[in-house]
Amino acid sequence: MGVTVLQPYPLPEGKSGAHIIDQLGKRLLALGATHSGQFLVDCETFISTPQPHNGAPGRAVHVLHNSEYPASTFSIIDNGTGKQVSLVADNIFDLLMLKMTNTFTSKKQTKIESRGARFEYGDFVIKLGSVTMMEHFKGILIEIEYKSCVILAYCWEMIREVLQGFLGIGVAKEFPSYFATQTIMTAMGQQQLHAKHNDIYEPMDTVKQYLEQFTNYRKHVALHGGMVSGGGQGGPTVGQPGVHIPPSSMVGMGRP
Amino acid sequence: MASVSSARESLSHALNNRFLPNLEYLLQGSILDSAVEHLMHRLKGLCDNVDTSPETFHDLEVCMSLRQPNSNQPLLLRVRRALGRDAPFQMRYLGNPEVDQRRPTLVRSCMDCACTNGILEFLTEMGFRLEFEYIAKGYMFRKGRMKITVSKLIKIVPGKQQDMANEPISQSYIVELSVVAPTGQENVGEEMRVFAEQLKPLVQLEKIDYKRLGGMP
Repeated sequence: MGVTVLQPYPLPEGKSGAHIIDQLGKRLLALGATHSGQFLVDCETFISTPQPHNGAPGRAVHVLHNSEYPASTFSIIDNGTGKQVSLVADNIFDLLMLKMTNTFTSKKQTKIESRGARFEYGDFVIKLGSVTMMEHFKGILIEIEYKSCVILAYCWEMIREVLQGFLGIGVAKEFPSYFATQTIMTAMGQQQLHAKHNDIYEPMDTVKQYLEQFTNYRKHVALHGGMVSGGGQGGPTVGQPGVHIPPSSMVGMGRP
Repeated sequence: MASVSSARESLSHALNNRFLPNLEYLLQGSILDSAVEHLMHRLKGLCDNVDTSPETFHDLEVCMSLRQPNSNQPLLLRVRRALGRDAPFQMRYLGNPEVDQRRPTLVRSCMDCACTNGILEFLTEMGFRLEFEYIAKGYMFRKGRMKITVSKLIKIVPGKQQDMANEPISQSYIVELSVVAPTGQENVGEEMRVFAEQLKPLVQLEKIDYKRLGGMP
């Protein structure tokens, strides 16, 4: 296990997702990468039924799986006030969630997944994922892992170079937004700056990046639905600031 | 190329093909502190893992409950943490015992799930509340797929889980014989009954009728 960075790939206008993935795959093989199976990351969100009597805000439990860790279920609970708690558990956790259907109901229509081919290239693992929600194509997510290092700050430059090499697009020099320095509260209740790019990387970080992207795709659908009459101008910025995505290419991405 | 199957698919595959252990067969009994040495000797003679000294454990069990709408019964989840060593937390769901009187053991659905140490905070955020907690300390034996535990239950002074001041609940040890097996393995109960016979008259392992104990969860 090493450091993984997840990047959305902007879809050029007039090109289909399958075409782009095919092209990227060919480029990787030409570089010398080898094809090594398939991968799947999926996410299902459970929403707590409102409990007005005790004033508890709506909570969301996101349950994700990553085929790279087939025996684990990853879950992240969002308590509605911005606090997140994450958990890694055995697969059986999925069955336990089904025991709580009275309190937590699955939002089936937002089940989302990224699946596709997995490539190995020296110390790198590259995954070309096409994201689908309810069988509808949503976009492309590129996952790149550098297996020989567990701290992003030490290998970001190299990851970035490989990304630029086969994607053929510019990737910003700054750390991806997930790893950006953020303000956190310490146990003592003080605010502190925390540089996430210096942390030791964990499998949960990969899952959180996926959740971040999946949430963007889901939001996009909600917003896009309301924008049809407005001519679809100026879609929300979906991608991480690290990748230059012209807003026009994002609009209409969700339509087959 | 064959595509990867989703985690949900492989889980239902395990359930449908009956290789997911999800039923607990259980017999329980107790023995006085003064006689526990004899039982330990008997178990050492009968069980598999006795090459060295019997395996010990020292666990804190926390039972969390979630009140569910449209249901009188709260959902209970038990979280176990080893106090003496660094091991993943274990979460366990136990269903209601089956009513079938002909079975030689108590049978209830059971799901075990290892988790990272954020589990208690996670459950609290989900709305679970602390129901009760205790410490179990004792010995674990194995005989084939059967597990035998001889343990002392210890009451906890709130906020002092690690403290030595915590006192045993009674002057005896609880003895449990259990197997967690997939659905449809009817011979497990019989196997356990035979083994329980061999522990008589030191300890009388019985199928406990939880309903008769009243308000116990």
